[in-house]
Amino acid sequence: MYVGRRMTANPITVSPEDTVVRAGHLLKKHRIHHLPVVQREELAGIVTDTDIRNTTLEEPPVDSRGEVLVQARKVGEIMTRDVVTMNPWDTIEDALLILHGRRFGALPVVEGRKLVGIITKADILAAFIDTLRIEGVGGVRIEVILPRDPSFLLRLIQTLGDMKIEIRSLVLSPFRDEFAAFLRIGTINVANVKTRLREAGFKVPELADFLG
Amino acid sequence: MAQRKENPLFGKMTFAHPLPQQKIEEGFAILIGENRLFGAELNPDIIKKEGEKRKFLVSRLPSRKKLISRWSRLFRDLVSPADFFELVSPKFQELEHRENILLVGKDRVIYDTQIFHGSEPVGEMTLFFHSVMNRNLGLLAYLRGERLRIVYIDHIRLLEQTSGYASALFRYYEKLFHDIGFHQFRLSASLSVGKYYWAKEGFDCSDRDAFRRMKEGLREFVKERGLPVEEIDINRLQRACDIASFRRDLKVPAYRNPEGYYALDEDEEHRDRQMFPLGKAFLLSSKPWDGYKIIYTNTPKKTGLIYSPEYLNHRPRTGHPENRRRLSKLLEAIRKDDLQGSLVFLEPYLPEMRFLEMVHPAGYLDAFRNGVRSGGKTFATVDCSISEASYDVALLAAGGVMAGVDAVLNGRVENIFCAVRPPGHHAGRESAMGFCFLNNVAVGALYARGVYGVQKIFILDWDVHHGNGTQEIFEEDPLTFFCSIHEHPTFCFPGTGRRMERGKGEGYGTTLNLPVKPHTADREFLDLFEREIIPEIETFRPDLIMVSAGFDAHRDDPIADLELTERSFVHMTQRIGEMADRYCQGRIVSVLEGGYNGSSLTSSAIAHLKTLQGRS
Repeated sequence: MYVGRRMTANPITVSPEDTVVRAGHLLKKHRIHHLPVVQREELAGIVTDTDIRNTTLEEPPVDSRGEVLVQARKVGEIMTRDVVTMNPWDTIEDALLILHGRRFGALPVVEGRKLVGIITKADILAAFIDTLRIEGVGGVRIEVILPRDPSFLLRLIQTLGDMKIEIRSLVLSPFRDEFAAFLRIGTINVANVKTRLREAGFKVPELADFLG
Repeated sequence: MAQRKENPLFGKMTFAHPLPQQKIEEGFAILIGENRLFGAELNPDIIKKEGEKRKFLVSRLPSRKKLISRWSRLFRDLVSPADFFELVSPKFQELEHRENILLVGKDRVIYDTQIFHGSEPVGEMTLFFHSVMNRNLGLLAYLRGERLRIVYIDHIRLLEQTSGYASALFRYYEKLFHDIGFHQFRLSASLSVGKYYWAKEGFDCSDRDAFRRMKEGLREFVKERGLPVEEIDINRLQRACDIASFRRDLKVPAYRNPEGYYALDEDEEHRDRQMFPLGKAFLLSSKPWDGYKIIYTNTPKKTGLIYSPEYLNHRPRTGHPENRRRLSKLLEAIRKDDLQGSLVFLEPYLPEMRFLEMVHPAGYLDAFRNGVRSGGKTFATVDCSISEASYDVALLAAGGVMAGVDAVLNGRVENIFCAVRPPGHHAGRESAMGFCFLNNVAVGALYARGVYGVQKIFILDWDVHHGNGTQEIFEEDPLTFFCSIHEHPTFCFPGTGRRMERGKGEGYGTTLNLPVKPHTADREFLDLFEREIIPEIETFRPDLIMVSAGFDAHRDDPIADLELTERSFVHMTQRIGEMADRYCQGRIVSVLEGGYNGSSLTSSAIAHLKTLQGRS
């Protein structure tokens, strides 16, 4: 789960000398929200659609004859220079915690000062969809409540293994003083699996009983 | 004789309302006065001599009370005895019935006549009119007269040159007996109006095994003579009438004996060589067979049923939900119901590989065959449990839908339900899962397009699971609309079928997924059906509607979490029936998918069938 594996490499960039209008057009054209600003192959800052929106709300600068100068404003004037960056070998969890904690939408990824990619909230969501196998054919989610004793988890997996049920993903998370196991299993006959698990003494909540 | 009308007023008569008892009594009185009405009794001597055949002797007339009650039970007082007598003895092509009498037995009315051309006798005929209980209908239905009414052609003999007469007479009879409410003709096709003739007129073998033997005989004959006939063409024959019209282009000899009977081989007796089309020659020389023809179903639509006992031979491991009892119970229930007399039963055939390959690559089909032939216990996933015959049965399931498409597009039936297994809608081009190996509906749809040129096909999948296989096959095809309504993928197998899946490329917009939350019941489900599915059908204007009809969204079904009752299946069937009437001449090919509680599967499928027949 490293950032380098999930980031978008070679992202679309602008230079500090580009106009704000050009930056805006790039965002629109590529349906993205963040543009790393690069000068001489080095990361100089980041400009986002929020920065551009805020610019339009400011009193526009005027020239000596009183004419509006919006057209002429440069990316270098509005970009954020103090950028939080990641390295390709940082983990997805690091990126997730920063994005969540600082309420960022994306983080440039650098090696030294050289820009190598960008990682966004969408990339992190994609990583979760893949990890949990939410998309794709053949898996059904079931939930099992387990005491916080690893032997129960072992027995759960053993029970499913005996039934030759394929486990496609398994997430274990604390739930009150127990564990909630979220499994995706590869069988159509879920009802039978649930019955067998209950017979084996596991707590299998009814649909929608648990965590909404 | 004088007081009776010369010509039957058949054209003006209707049989919609029972007559007052007085009219019935008058009718009897006329016949008694003319000395044409008698009692009938079984003759035990003849029964002994002739085996199963039931022969009757003329006997004393039963009491007036018995006459009235027996007549009423069989004819529901819709026609008076004198009128009936007149209607059943019409004059055609200068041939007329004479020395004809009506006999009233305990359980049947018998019409017996000689047929004359001028003063010359040219034949004779005996008809039995009787009814049989539709098993399981109960006493009340029996008393209401809900029985299967049968005209049994007990005997007919005609001079050869009068065979055009038989055609005219039986076409007339078919209309007459239909209007009086008789359901079937039956006969033993061994008599001098020949075995070929009855098949050509649409009679089929009463016994499916007899038909299979007939087909087997044809196959052997073709093989023996090295005739240029494809095995696959023989496999597709489903009824005796298919054989009658089989390979009209291919003439083969048959040998006639002096009595007018034919054989395929020349011998001492059969020496007169004549050339006939293959099917005709074969039937002329065939062994006698018992036949029937449905002349009337009391259902507004003619509905077919595809089934073969071979479907029971796919045997997943013990305890597997997709087991043979699903179908054996359903068929048992159909046989006990009045569906037995009103459905058109048709058989599946083994399809040519090229039709399967329109959906599944040859490599996948090979892998499946090898998986089964090598004695594997499962194929691809643990759900797809297999047995020795699984490959052949899966082929026959796809061929069942093809046979259903044939029947609907040839107009043999208006709509059809294919009671096949294993199911198919989870099977993708190259993947088996969720009890499915071959995508039966997809094969049927592409067969309908490839062979019959059907353009736009609307596939409605109301199985409780998303039809991911069918979606995968058609998601880029703008001419095949795939619409699936199912339990939400967050809670239910196979985890696909979210609303945002709308198709791909050119097919974007002709895929529609309607996931519903667990515990959804009839009302909410049908609201969604009306709000979202009906308008899509109206916009799409299909040329054929196919249904992936799983019945596992029923509240008694153990496999998932919806709470539907039969009501939902009836409602949806009724509405797609209306859509089919509006856009595609009523053509619906419905195919069984899931449904794992024996009794709710049976009751839902029967409700579906009856609604397909147009019954409320």
